[in-house]
Amino acid sequence: MKKVLIASLLLAPSISAYATEAPITGNVQTRCLITTDTNGVYGNPLPSKLSTLAADGGVVPVVRYDVTLADAYLAKVTTPTAFTSNPTLVDSVTWTGSTTVTNTTDVGMAGYEAAKVTYGSTTQYDLTVAGSTWFSSESTAVYGGTKSFPGGSYTAIILAECIAK
Amino acid sequence: MRALLLLALLPFCNAVAHEMTPTYPTFSDSFMAGISVTTLNIFNKRMDVSYYEIGVFDKEWVPIPFVSQYTVIPMAYLDTVSFDVYVSNLSLGSVEYICSVSQMQAGTTVSSKICSRVK
Repeated sequence: MKKVLIASLLLAPSISAYATEAPITGNVQTRCLITTDTNGVYGNPLPSKLSTLAADGGVVPVVRYDVTLADAYLAKVTTPTAFTSNPTLVDSVTWTGSTTVTNTTDVGMAGYEAAKVTYGSTTQYDLTVAGSTWFSSESTAVYGGTKSFPGGSYTAIILAECIAK
Repeated sequence: MRALLLLALLPFCNAVAHEMTPTYPTFSDSFMAGISVTTLNIFNKRMDVSYYEIGVFDKEWVPIPFVSQYTVIPMAYLDTVSFDVYVSNLSLGSVEYICSVSQMQAGTTVSSKICSRVK
C-alpha cells in the first residue's frame, strides 16, 4: 500500500504537467480597410451626358470602409472632377457628384449622413463607431452644355481616403 | 454612337481592399544617430493595384522628407509588406501622417489612400 502511495506521489507532478493549460492568444489591431464593393459604370442617357445613376443606365460605385476602433478615423470620398483617360475633348466638362451612406453594420452609424461635411467634390464622415460603412458616390459629367461626347473610352477616378484622427 | 459612349467608370470585378497598420505608429531610435524609425504594414487585396506610394506629411499636409526601402512599394495581390520609415529627428516633431496611396493602372478607377497618424 505504501509503495502504491509513494508511486502516486512521484507521478503526480508529471500528471499535472499534462493538465497544463495551453492558452490561445490573439491581437486585433486598430485598422481601416477600404474595399471597392461595387464598381461604377457611366451610362449615357443623353449625347452630352455621362452619369452613374441607375435611372441614366449607369451603376453607382460603392466603397466600403471597415474600422475596428471607434472614433479613430475620418472617411473622405472624392468624386471625379476630370477624366483620367478620354478621347480628345474640345470643350469643357461640367462635373457634379455626391456621396451618401447606403448601408451600415451598426445602428450607431445612423447619424453619419446627417453629420457629414461636404466641401468641393469631397464628402467627409467621422467614423465614430466601429464596424462597416458603405458609401455610394454618384457622378455626372456634362459636355459643353449640349454637345455630344466624342465616341471612345472614358475613365474617371474616385478617391477613397481613410485618415487616422 | 450611344453604345460607344456607354463606358465603364470602373470595370466589374470582385471586392478589393487596401489596409495599412498600425493606426498610430510610434518612432524609436534607429541604428543611425539623429534618425528615428517606425515600421508599418500594408496588405494588398486589390487585384487591380500592384504599387503603393508612401508619403509622410505634417499637420498641414506638407510633405516631409523621409527615407524608406521604397517610396513606391511593389506588391503582389494578397501580399503583406512591412516597411520602415526613417525621419530625421529635426523634422520628427512635425510628422503627423504617414500615408499609402494606391497607384493607378489601366482599368483602375478607385484610388484608395490610408493614413496613419503619429501622435
